[in-house]
Amino acid sequence: MPETETTVKTVTANLKVYRYDPEVGDAKPYYQDYEVEVEDWFTVLDALIKIREEIDGTLSLRCACRASICGSCAMKVNGEAKLVCKTKLDSVWSPGETVTVDPPGNMPVITDLVADFKPFWDKVRQVKPYMQPTGPVPTAEYLAPNEDMVHLAGVMNCIMCGACVSDCTVLEVDKSFIGPAALAKAYRFVADPRDGKKKERLGELNGDAGIWDCTRCMQCVEVCPKDVDPMERIMVMRDQAIEEGYTGTSGARHTESFVNSVRRSGRLNETRLAIESMGVMNIPGQISMAPVGIKALLKGKLPSPLDHKIPSKAAVKKIVEKSEETSK
Amino acid sequence: MKYAFWPGCVALGGTPELYQSTKLVLNKLGIEVEELTNATCTGAGVLQEKNRKLGDTLNVRTFAQAEEMGLPIMTICSTCQGTMAQAQLAVIKDDGYLADINADLADEGLEYHGDTVTKHFLWILVEEYGLENLKKHFVRDLSGLKFAPFYGCYLIRPSDALGFAEVPERETSLEQVIESTGAEVVDFKGSKACCGLPILFINQGNSLKMVATHTGTAKDLGADAMVTPCPLCHLNLDGYQGKAAKKNRSSAIDLPILHLPQMLGLAMGFTPKELGMNKHMVSTSRLSEQVASPAGV
Amino acid sequence: MYEHDVLIIGAGLAGLRAAVEAEKLGLKTAVLSKVHPVRSHSCAAQGGINAALGDRGDDWTDHAYDTVKGSDFLGDQDAIEIMAREAGDDLIELEHMGVVFSRQDDGRLEARAFGGQRVPRTFFIGAITGSAMLHVLYEQAIKHDVQIYEEWFVTKLIIEEGVCHGAVAFNMHTGEMETIRAKSVIMAAGGAGRVFEPSTNALICTGDGLALAWDAGASLMDMEMVQYHPTTLAGNGILLSEAARGEGAHLLNSEGDRFMERYAPEFMELASRDVVSRAEQTEINEGRSINGNVLLDLRHLGKTFIEERLGYLQEVAVEFRGIDLSEHPIEIRPGVHYIMGGIKTNVDGATVVPGLYAAGECANVSVHGGNRLGANSLLDTIVFGRRSAQAAAEYVKTAAPSVSTDEHLNAEKSRIQDLLDRPKGIRWAAVRNELAHSMTEGIGVYRDQASMEGADAKVDEMRAKYSQVSVENKGKVYNTDLIFTLELDYMINVAKTITQGALMCKESRGAHSRTDMPDRDDENWLKHTHVFKDDDGVRTETSDVTITQWQPVERVY
Repeated sequence: MPETETTVKTVTANLKVYRYDPEVGDAKPYYQDYEVEVEDWFTVLDALIKIREEIDGTLSLRCACRASICGSCAMKVNGEAKLVCKTKLDSVWSPGETVTVDPPGNMPVITDLVADFKPFWDKVRQVKPYMQPTGPVPTAEYLAPNEDMVHLAGVMNCIMCGACVSDCTVLEVDKSFIGPAALAKAYRFVADPRDGKKKERLGELNGDAGIWDCTRCMQCVEVCPKDVDPMERIMVMRDQAIEEGYTGTSGARHTESFVNSVRRSGRLNETRLAIESMGVMNIPGQISMAPVGIKALLKGKLPSPLDHKIPSKAAVKKIVEKSEETSK
Repeated sequence: MKYAFWPGCVALGGTPELYQSTKLVLNKLGIEVEELTNATCTGAGVLQEKNRKLGDTLNVRTFAQAEEMGLPIMTICSTCQGTMAQAQLAVIKDDGYLADINADLADEGLEYHGDTVTKHFLWILVEEYGLENLKKHFVRDLSGLKFAPFYGCYLIRPSDALGFAEVPERETSLEQVIESTGAEVVDFKGSKACCGLPILFINQGNSLKMVATHTGTAKDLGADAMVTPCPLCHLNLDGYQGKAAKKNRSSAIDLPILHLPQMLGLAMGFTPKELGMNKHMVSTSRLSEQVASPAGV
Repeated sequence: MYEHDVLIIGAGLAGLRAAVEAEKLGLKTAVLSKVHPVRSHSCAAQGGINAALGDRGDDWTDHAYDTVKGSDFLGDQDAIEIMAREAGDDLIELEHMGVVFSRQDDGRLEARAFGGQRVPRTFFIGAITGSAMLHVLYEQAIKHDVQIYEEWFVTKLIIEEGVCHGAVAFNMHTGEMETIRAKSVIMAAGGAGRVFEPSTNALICTGDGLALAWDAGASLMDMEMVQYHPTTLAGNGILLSEAARGEGAHLLNSEGDRFMERYAPEFMELASRDVVSRAEQTEINEGRSINGNVLLDLRHLGKTFIEERLGYLQEVAVEFRGIDLSEHPIEIRPGVHYIMGGIKTNVDGATVVPGLYAAGECANVSVHGGNRLGANSLLDTIVFGRRSAQAAAEYVKTAAPSVSTDEHLNAEKSRIQDLLDRPKGIRWAAVRNELAHSMTEGIGVYRDQASMEGADAKVDEMRAKYSQVSVENKGKVYNTDLIFTLELDYMINVAKTITQGALMCKESRGAHSRTDMPDRDDENWLKHTHVFKDDDGVRTETSDVTITQWQPVERVY
């Protein structure tokens, strides 16, 4: 902040910080309370740095650039992942309250606020995150439309901070999910006109624990400090996978069934959606759904297998068909 | 107060008890609605996955219809509300995009001018009807009961599409309404998590883990029921709770899942049967008994 | 004990470029870094990378001359010629690796104007060029399966009979110290901006590489040449790229004047950085400032333009100051950004210590001389990162293997343990902060004999205080307390070489601006300063500047 000659006004902030010392015999994490004098422009990182410089040198955390570009300092503040160098303290705390700081979620903890990013980087490596051009290499630069490069810059804003992975609701229940960061990185190559392996990439991402496992909860969109919008990238890749001919997943069938239902009638036909998503020929799948279906029927709420048609369904059909034309 | 009413596909299909209880409650509160019978499905994020512009076009079509009626829109489904809000944001900030979409609506003589407001019934209660006015219609005191809130992803993310900066009360709206009935809010980590329905047909194992985690945690913390403003969440949390428990826990969960209007209806004196609580997969009979006992009418 | 052909210390642009080259040349390569590669400070470079592309009518000798002039004629012209000549191919290679660059309408790479360049030859993507390049180089490292000692910290280089044979380092996750033996070492550990306050640099830029090489017998050359970047955010020193000025932003004083008119009538805001910083400092010193700062004004560029071409700047302004650059000017001031000085190398990255190479900001070839032009550092890292690896590859063909011994490891283990065992004393942070503030005061945009002597004395005082610094955290796992204490040791040594270099230089040139000796003295002082480690402290020397084509002339912008 601009230096002034007057004494700097400070106020006492209360922080509750996750501590974990793996070297202590019966190592269990605990919370440590700190009271630290802060100025009104402080970020959460400023407060943590002040703690380790003046109060408790044993507090370990990762940080480097302080300018939201290196991605080191993602951690949970009051339960939500944030880049603490750009999180103003007064946006998450008022005098009298306590701010809770935890290491990023969905990763093992090394110590204190330092998480083990190995699973994160392993997943990034899985998507072959490097240019794979095919065809003759030009002597000068590859020609590429600026539009495409600007579009890529949006997803390249990703600084691999891990906030999205920390708060991903699928990773919470299934650590094998490849995760939003790796998928956003994969998209960066799928969308690069200079990469020659779009179809192969989509084919791999189409498999288990890939693009179809995202539950569309938007947590990654909400916490990303760089507006990368990982979920949107995953959605675009789903559509592109279908376009490349990968239509055999239940996810692809689910999407197609939904679109077809709206095309026919303007509304969603839930019973047909369930049957078509599972795969009409997938007898074991159909049978597995039967108990819930029968129970619903007995309760009088199994949705009719017939379409609920709206009066202007013809107009809606036209709109749907036009969108399919233009997207080709 | 009058609204253009968008019930959503599922309230008219897999969760008829939501439609049923909503109508009863709106009537009691004196809120008039006119149903948008010619509107389409909002797309629920699935249509948007295939083609974002298609989803936006269909939702703007609905906005235009409401605009013609001169009424704001009321939704009763988190997913509908969120999808519509995202479409609204997309066209409000880009005139060219809106013009493009309006061109596709011209065939039906529809045009959206950006004036329609879309709010979930939950927000309308807190922001427009007012909790003090709401309480005047309560005849049954629900204190002694503990309810766990479950918002549904689309009603809380992304925050910039849902107006949280302008109306911060929305972030605690469900807790506020629960408390207005006298019931205690069960504060648990999963209230803003995902129910797993979008991956039910894709990765059922994970979907059920989510159901088991959130309903299980709430139950273990002493909740008598979970309350949700989203019928899609209800489908998974109620419909698949039994299977989820079997696959992920050693004990049953048996946590009744109430639609928001059902909770309100109980406070207003309607019977569980009137509110369609007999149509749930997870039995609500114990809850009905708790409600009917001493504190009842 | 490990065995490699080349150990590269530092995984920023220079280190990773060297690693990829070394792998391609078939060397048993390893990279070591105290942070994950993509956290390296290269990610913070914003504006772009210079290259003269022949196929669009640019001439590398023009770029070379702009660089020579920018260096205030202290740059070695043979090195500058090499860098300018090889830039085009290196740039295209980067693009082929997949770096995303902004494009013209015809799909070809687009260039923007930048400080000190007579034609636009700075290739960029928004204001995140460094980050874009770093991530691609890391991707290439993944592609080539480069071995990386991730989050390891070097405490000493291994020197046996004057030859470098690797390093002693510890794994930050376990605290275990190891000897990492290699036939050659490329030091690419970056700069030392944190020796000053304020600084645009990350907290990790503590001069580790400079200090380690100096301790091993290399010379630190031209250390007085410390670049104050003109546009750093007032308060926390965060960088606002020169790209803003390249795209047309103005500098204003408190009277609303574009004051650069008086200091650099031709180049205006795009004069070389030392000229602009001095102009700003003068305006501030003479009272035409706002809160001790001047203003960077982008309003006339328009919101859409700013968001597309300078998006990161808008992000910084909004997030850290709540300012929309399309509506308000923003307060900025000079802040330390880059050290032109560094480990003396030849044009192939070789230092005077056999087996020890250096590249990137920690090295000084010298291509930047007395002042670095913007967008030449990204180029420097790529060109000399590559060249050092090529040189190391030749060297290892005939390099003698080292003797396997635990001598160095044991000495280091003992030294670190002694540090940990010190009784409770003073905190490293207090000493670090005092050092940094004193250095800015004494070795500022403007300096004089008294201020430099004051800084030099302060460094000695900090060195004395260091013996009382104790480490609070006695643990082995991710002990940042220990790391900061070791970094402080490096910083004090680097600071000493800066003050000593500054005191040697009896003229003003480039970034070394003496109010008591304001003129350039080409007759006596067209020289590089060298500071070596000596048994009694330091030993200083000078050497001549290599001139090929361009004799020094008056430097006017």
